[in-house]
Amino acid sequence: MLEMQHLHKSFSGTNRVLDDFNLSMREGEFVSLIGPSGCGKTTALRIVAGLLEQSGGKVIVDGAESHGPSRDKAIVFQHFNLFPWRTAIDNVSYGLEMQGRPKAERKKVAQEYLELVGLSDSAKKYPAQLSGGMRQRIGIARALAIHPKLLLMDEPFGALDALTREHLQGQLQRICIERNLTTLFVTHSIDEAIYLSDRVVVMGVQPGRIIAEFDVTMPKPRADYNFRAEPEYAELRESIWKLLEQQLVRSELVAS
Amino acid sequence: MTPATSPSPNVFDSWGGDSRAGILERIASLGSRRNGLRLASLLVVLTLWELWGRANPFFASYPSAIGAAGIEIFLPEVVPAFITTLVAFFTGLAIAVPIGMAIGFGMGLVRLLDVALTPYINAIYATPRIALIPVLVLWLGIDFNLRVAIVALGAVFPVIVNTYTGTKHVDPELLDAGRAFMAPHQKILRTIVVPSAAPFVFAGIRIGIGRAVSGVIVAEMTSALTGVGRMLISHAKYLQIDELFVSVITLGLFSLLLLSALTMVQRRMTPWSNAEQMR
Repeated sequence: MLEMQHLHKSFSGTNRVLDDFNLSMREGEFVSLIGPSGCGKTTALRIVAGLLEQSGGKVIVDGAESHGPSRDKAIVFQHFNLFPWRTAIDNVSYGLEMQGRPKAERKKVAQEYLELVGLSDSAKKYPAQLSGGMRQRIGIARALAIHPKLLLMDEPFGALDALTREHLQGQLQRICIERNLTTLFVTHSIDEAIYLSDRVVVMGVQPGRIIAEFDVTMPKPRADYNFRAEPEYAELRESIWKLLEQQLVRSELVAS
Repeated sequence: MTPATSPSPNVFDSWGGDSRAGILERIASLGSRRNGLRLASLLVVLTLWELWGRANPFFASYPSAIGAAGIEIFLPEVVPAFITTLVAFFTGLAIAVPIGMAIGFGMGLVRLLDVALTPYINAIYATPRIALIPVLVLWLGIDFNLRVAIVALGAVFPVIVNTYTGTKHVDPELLDAGRAFMAPHQKILRTIVVPSAAPFVFAGIRIGIGRAVSGVIVAEMTSALTGVGRMLISHAKYLQIDELFVSVITLGLFSLLLLSALTMVQRRMTPWSNAEQMR
């Protein structure tokens, strides 16, 4: 469904931020990119989103090469990036508005997605009137409202408190399963990556690249049972942490 | 395109908004205490002024005398003077605000205009407008046009500079969101750049109004000899201190009223900017 082939990215005068990045995703698959700061995970996501131009390589969506933003792809940002001057419902309908859909349809669809994230009562509120968790639910609704083939999430729960985060993770997984969404998810958190993913891709630094991939086979939705008590969880956590620890040491060595 | 699977209702149902009534009440009581304090302060100041003014009868005045003079000259003198001044003032403002916004947005969005115009804008902005009055008198005479020009020159530069600054302070993350959701260039301007510059534009108009008021009064006192400026000058010349104070205080109150009106317009047009307090 999504193919990233030999992606390279270097900014002028620095090391390769992303070096020969290859990843292919099945339809309905949930893949997390995890790694220390500077491993290029956000760079890879932004290239797929079309917000950043790669220095080399290809992004292929459904067999066709993808350049720049498109209506197949929707992104959820770490800092929500909601428009402060738009009410919740107008934020959710933004993508549809930019596609030139008629007003009545936009309103109807936006309403449905607000309901999906449980915020129908806050339709007329501005982002400043909502909590962080509510804002990110608007961010998720805004992305889903354009009915994308591919959902891109850049540390979407990174700015939220632990309780809200855990709650939203469970709800996101439910939505992803229900709508068979193909999701590329960037995170710092090993626990979050294992919780949500079918596959965890571990990235290393200097240069930014993929160093390992792990399949997560525990059944979903994982909020329905104590997946953290499973042996698979402990094993994955251990192996991923070992790899990341090495990378952390590496990035500190380079920094000093 | 409607979604293939209809979204299930209320997945996030347990996370409703929390009540903030307690905070609101506290703010309200703080507000009323603050108003009480202000009233008390006003009474003390007026009393002290009254006492001091009665003790120095020649060059000072005091509240009761000013009030009496106000009742006497308000309709025959103050109102016509203000009408004369305000016609010029609002004409100048009506010219300056749209032009200032157009130039500001133009410079902010078109690099060529930015590079070409910035030196002139900075040079003229930095020049005291009083120094321009003799030049403008030569060009425009001492009539209506002179006063309109002074007002427009006073207001237009803050509007230009602030609008320009506003276009340069758009959050790049919001631009990312616009691009990611396929906003075409002109929609990025309309849905992101313009609203995010709006508070800057209003701040520019606010500064512009202050400069425009002082500009038109100076022009009326020094050259045009009409309106509120002339009223001030003539009362000062004949040592009519009470009437002079009436003029000054009316002018102050008027400026205050104008800025409050602008605040109301701003709240109307940018309801999100005070959304924090509406939660």
